Amino acid sequence: MALHYSFKSALQSLWREKWINILSMLTVASSLLIATLTVFTLYNVELVTNHLPERFSMLVYLKDQLSPEETQNVVAAIRKRAEVAQATYISKEQALNELKQTFKDTHSLLEGLEENPLASSVEVRLRKDFVAAAATSKIAEEIKKIPGVDNVYYGEKVAEAIYLMKKSVQNISVIIFLTVSLGVIFVTYSTVKILFYRRNEEIDILKLLGATRGFIRAPFLIEGSIIGLSGGILGIIGAFIFYIAVTYRLSAIIPILKTLVFPAGIIVALPFVGIVLGLIGSAIALGRLKL
Amino acid sequence: MITFQNVSKYYDHDTALRGLSFTIEKGEMAFITGPSGAGKSTLLKLMYLSEWPDEGEITIGDFTLASLKRHDIPLLRRDIGVVFQDFKLINNLTIHDNVALALRIRGVGEKDIKTRVSEALKKVYLRHKADSYPRKLSGGEQQRVVIARAIVAEPSLILADEPTGNLDPNTALDIIHLFRDINIHGTTVLIATHNRELFRHTGARVLKLDNGAIVGEERG
Repeated sequence: MALHYSFKSALQSLWREKWINILSMLTVASSLLIATLTVFTLYNVELVTNHLPERFSMLVYLKDQLSPEETQNVVAAIRKRAEVAQATYISKEQALNELKQTFKDTHSLLEGLEENPLASSVEVRLRKDFVAAAATSKIAEEIKKIPGVDNVYYGEKVAEAIYLMKKSVQNISVIIFLTVSLGVIFVTYSTVKILFYRRNEEIDILKLLGATRGFIRAPFLIEGSIIGLSGGILGIIGAFIFYIAVTYRLSAIIPILKTLVFPAGIIVALPFVGIVLGLIGSAIALGRLKL
Repeated sequence: MITFQNVSKYYDHDTALRGLSFTIEKGEMAFITGPSGAGKSTLLKLMYLSEWPDEGEITIGDFTLASLKRHDIPLLRRDIGVVFQDFKLINNLTIHDNVALALRIRGVGEKDIKTRVSEALKKVYLRHKADSYPRKLSGGEQQRVVIARAIVAEPSLILADEPTGNLDPNTALDIIHLFRDINIHGTTVLIATHNRELFRHTGARVLKLDNGAIVGEERG
C-alpha cells in the first residue's frame, strides 16, 4: 500500500516539476545516446574483426629438395598444433599453376621460365582466438623451427593494426561509458537534490507524523529511476534514428555502412542501465536521512 | 503514560526547561499553561523527539526516550497524534490526502483508509471539504483537519500545541469540546495553551510553566 502511495507521489512530483524533469530526461537521453553509439561502434568493430581471422592465413615455405616423407612430416607437425584450424599442402607445381591462372591474360610474363622458381608451401589457417598479433608472431617463430621449414610469411602488420584498432576501440568505449555513466548519475543526483529541497517542508511533516526513512525516500528513488528509464528509452529511439539514417541514407554514398548491425540486446539493456544509474544518483542525493 | 524526571533543555547559553518532573496518567486530559516563551512548545517537542532533552529521562507509554534508537523514532511518533500550532498541512494535497497520510505511513490499505478518513473528518464536521485544498479553508477549519489527522490512526496520546491560537472564542471552545470527546474514548490528551479560558470549568489538571520550570498545579 505504501508502494502505491510512493508511485503516486513520484508521478505527481514528475508532473508538478515537469520542466526540470523533462530537462533531466533529455540530458540523460543525450548521455545514453552517446553510450549507445559507443556500444554500436564497438559491436560492429568486434563483428568485423571476429570474421577477419577466417580470411587470414599463414604461408609456410618449405625448403627445396624435401622428400615426400619429409614434406609429410612437416605438414603433420603443423597440423598437430592446437592453434591450427587447417593446413593445406601446396606443391610447387600447384603454386605455378595458380600463378599461371592469375596471369592468364598476361601470358608473356611467365614465358621463358625454364624451371619452376616457386617453393612448396603449406597454407595454414589459425583458430580465431589465436589471431592476436602477439600470438601469431609467436606461432610463426615456432613453426619456423620445424625441420624442413624455410620461411614463414603472415600478415604481421595487418594483424597488428587490427589488434591495435580493436584494443583502442575497446579502451575508448570503456572510458566513454564510464564518463557517461558518471554524467547520468550526476544529473539524477542534482535533480533529486533540487526536488528534495523543494519538498523540505513536506518531508519534515512526514517525519513528524512517524514516516520511516524508506517511506520518505521511496518516491524520490522512483522518480530518479523514471528519469533514468525515460532517458534510456529516448536514447534508444535517438540511436535507432541515427542507425536508420546511417544505413539507409549515408550508405548510398559509403556502401560499406550498409553492413552495420544494430545490437538488439541494447534495446533491453539501455533502459535498465538508465534505471540503475538513476537509482544510484538519487540514492546518493538522499544520503543518510536524519529522522 | 507520560513521565518527566528532572528534564532540562538548553539552547546555547539559555535554559529552555529546567529540571522538569511530572506525570500524566493514561487516559487523562491535562493542560500546560504559561506565558509565551515559558517553554510549553519545547516541552511538547521533547515528547515527539523533534528536540532532544539535554538532561533527565522521559517515558512515553512503553518508550524510554533516552535509550530509543534512531530507527525506532517513527514508532514513537506513530503512537502520538500531534496538533501543531502552525498546522503543518501539505498544501498540494487534498484534505482527504492530508488526513490519509497518517494512515499511509502506517501501511494501512487504501480501502480502509477511505473509511477511516471519512469517519475522522465527520468527527470534526469537515466531511464535505474532503476534496478541498488547505489554502481554501479558514484557520478554524484547518485546525480541525489537523485534529482529524492526529486522531485518525487512533494513537494513545494526543499532544496539542496552542490548538486555538488563531481562532475566535466560539471556534476555540468547539475545538476543546472535540478534545474532550476524544479523551472520553480513552485517549490521553495534553494541551499547551496560554489561554486560561480554554481549561476553565473543564476539571482537568493544569500544570503552570514559567521560565522553563513548573511553578504550580491547579484544576481547571
